[in-house]
Amino acid sequence: MNMFLHELKAYRKSTLLWTLSLAILIILFLSIFPVFSQNAEEMKKLLEGYPEGIRKALGISIDSFTTLLGFYPFVFGYILLCGAIQAMHLGTSLIAKEMKGTAEFLLVKPVTRHQVITAKLLAALVSIIITNIVYLLVSSLMATFISTETLTINTFLLVSLTLFYLQLIFLALGMLFSVVIPKIKSILSVTLGTVFGFFIINLLDSSVGEKSIRYLSPFEYFDITYISKNASYEIPYVILSLAVILVAMGTSYFVFAKKDIGA
Amino acid sequence: MNIFIREMKDNRKSLILWSIGVLFMVMGGMAKYEAYANTGQSINDIIQQMPEGIRSILGFGTFDLTQAIGFYVMLSLYLMIMASIHAALIGAHIISKEEQDKTAEFLFVKPISRYRIITLKLLAALTNIIIFNLVTLFSSIFMVGYYSNGNQFIGDILYVMIGMFLLQIIYLLIGTGIAAISKNPKRAAALATGILLVTFILSMMIDINNKLQSIKFLTPFKYFEGKNLIFGDGFEPFYLILSFMIIAIFGTGTYVFYRKRDLNV
Repeated sequence: MNMFLHELKAYRKSTLLWTLSLAILIILFLSIFPVFSQNAEEMKKLLEGYPEGIRKALGISIDSFTTLLGFYPFVFGYILLCGAIQAMHLGTSLIAKEMKGTAEFLLVKPVTRHQVITAKLLAALVSIIITNIVYLLVSSLMATFISTETLTINTFLLVSLTLFYLQLIFLALGMLFSVVIPKIKSILSVTLGTVFGFFIINLLDSSVGEKSIRYLSPFEYFDITYISKNASYEIPYVILSLAVILVAMGTSYFVFAKKDIGA
Repeated sequence: MNIFIREMKDNRKSLILWSIGVLFMVMGGMAKYEAYANTGQSINDIIQQMPEGIRSILGFGTFDLTQAIGFYVMLSLYLMIMASIHAALIGAHIISKEEQDKTAEFLFVKPISRYRIITLKLLAALTNIIIFNLVTLFSSIFMVGYYSNGNQFIGDILYVMIGMFLLQIIYLLIGTGIAAISKNPKRAAALATGILLVTFILSMMIDINNKLQSIKFLTPFKYFEGKNLIFGDGFEPFYLILSFMIIAIFGTGTYVFYRKRDLNV
């Protein structure tokens, strides 16, 4: 319990900062929407005159573009990117920060390593959950406030919740990295490198259009356009995400329990 | 000189990784171009007629996307973001790491002045960002050359890369400056990336909302945009002067504050 509280305290400031930034970001983004819905109708007419290929290249599904749910995926991508950075940074620092000199203090205490990692993990989870609750509240309030027609709040929540799932994946990945890489010099570079790496794969994929690439980047496990259209997740990818999370966390527990930690 | 070599070695791995990253970015980005090139002129019409807000949120400008170089300009925004992240991180890290890794007491008892140490570190960081820039330059020339049918493009790419280099220096020195000033060395890299993200989001807001044009000077990402460099007015003197001022301020700031810094050992 002490460890849990200590970790929570350690992450208090960064959780607050991230939560605030995500909330402000989504408010700013959604406040653009009215300009959009004004132009949307004329835009719709404009696009209909063009062949299918172009519409695909632009990544716009015309029918949904005029509604808030059609607009949301465009801005949500940036939220996902920020959220992934937060989660991965949190996950990586859980273990890696102790290696900078506090490991010998922590690990001689009469607690097992499993207890240590569990307490840390729980604290990180709480931090992410807080961020998500605030984000969900702010974004859905803003969305209902701004939407021109009645908003299907269920679908909106389904889309917004992918932030939480993606964060879980990156939290697990970060933890895995921090126990597997022998010595992490800079937590931030590892984090940014991985997150942007996956983000670029994601960009690449939309150009190659190869289906198999989709498995490579967590950013693509949740196809937001698909979710907002069908109001449901794609089951194979849900299973895949779960598998990634479980395997990464399981391996971290296993490796950390036996890891040779030079203090 | 030893310090310089030591720093180069220290950053070798990350430099290689970043170079591979930017290489993929250029290759992947230009591969996307094919999809646009095939749609012919009509994609330009459609983009011309889009309302400003929609255009910028999709990342388009008013330039010709069916030309390889026009498409490259769109891509250059992402290259610049990558380059500035790299520069800011390396700047913050190269200064703050001695305290963070507890090597300060080893380094600073050596018979060299702090000025010298900073100078050598800055030189090493500069070499790193130059290499990054060159990798981007050559991969761009190769990829754009592959897709453009004998049109002139090398001069344009050089222009964009000079702009990117200035941006790199700005963010490098913002990184070192923050690392020299901030009391807590651990916070330096996070602060530098924070500033970077804020300026980036600001530049996006300016794109989306035209009324914000007047605060363009607040974000370096607006100083040297690919579309202005190639299709617009080129380098504007105002922004050049402004960048040199930022560079001078953060550069001297790094020296002045680090010279008197109370090192955490």
